[in-house]
Amino acid sequence: MIVCLAVVGHQNNPLYIQSFTEADDALKLHHIVHCSLDVVDERVNNPKKSGPTINEAFLGLLYPTENYKVYGYLTNTKVKFILVTTDLDVRDADVRNFFRRFHAAYVDAVTNPFHVPGKKITSKIFAERVSTMVKSFGLSPAS
Amino acid sequence: MVREVAESCVESLMAEIVSSYCKGVYANKPELAAPRIEAIGFQVGHRLSERYTMDRPRFTDHLEAIKFICKDFWSDLFKKQIDNLKTNHRGTFVLQDDWFRWLAHMSVDPSLVTSGSIQDPSAMAENEAAQATGLHLYFPCGIIRGALSNLGIPCAVSADISNLPACSFVVRIKV
Repeated sequence: MIVCLAVVGHQNNPLYIQSFTEADDALKLHHIVHCSLDVVDERVNNPKKSGPTINEAFLGLLYPTENYKVYGYLTNTKVKFILVTTDLDVRDADVRNFFRRFHAAYVDAVTNPFHVPGKKITSKIFAERVSTMVKSFGLSPAS
Repeated sequence: MVREVAESCVESLMAEIVSSYCKGVYANKPELAAPRIEAIGFQVGHRLSERYTMDRPRFTDHLEAIKFICKDFWSDLFKKQIDNLKTNHRGTFVLQDDWFRWLAHMSVDPSLVTSGSIQDPSAMAENEAAQATGLHLYFPCGIIRGALSNLGIPCAVSADISNLPACSFVVRIKV
């Protein structure tokens, strides 16, 4: 189950951060997202020779904490997507798929002429699309 | 659901932007029209680059990004690629397009050549053409600048017209 999604701009400014739990630990999730930004920078600047190609957008599992797994995705325009999930057996392919659809929703939100680049995303349609995607994450088998 | 618009509408819109900014909005200060049009192009290029870089792996250096602009970006926008790319390897690139789509249907009336200087009519005509159509190139310059700055490359873009409809865009990367 996805508990938190964040979109962070290229100057590490938050563009969209949304938690999907009823519990009151939004602050803790924000903190986790913040820490994962450092991991993203590290991954991008010091590519492991044996790891995946440095040019791929999907960065994979960034770091596991005690209850959560954090996945990262870096677009060509240096925008980072961070996904925090509590699932223990989430499949890589599912996460990649999710990020691809999330990227499409993000592009649609940003091409809105009333959106100011660098400011937070305030589109309700984007929020609805994202919550639909989060609800269906991991429920249907990979197709 | 993909919505389509006739290309003639896009061309008319481009021409009308230039015309209304130069003669309408900034009629008293025509030199302010060019940066305004370029800024509109910047916003458009910024958003277009988000969309067109979606499924691609990340770029490793400036040259890759410029090649992306010359090939994929240009063919998504104008259905053809840039015909010639030159660089001085020190941050300046010249992108040459031999048949720029938005200028293809433009022509300059040769009878508008001012009387008086008749030494070299062909040069005069070329000059007139360059001046008249130069304004129409600010928007594409803005598009290129917006796309590159969204990819993390701040730059300045200017355009020259040698002969219609060929034109070249000079990209100078700011260090």
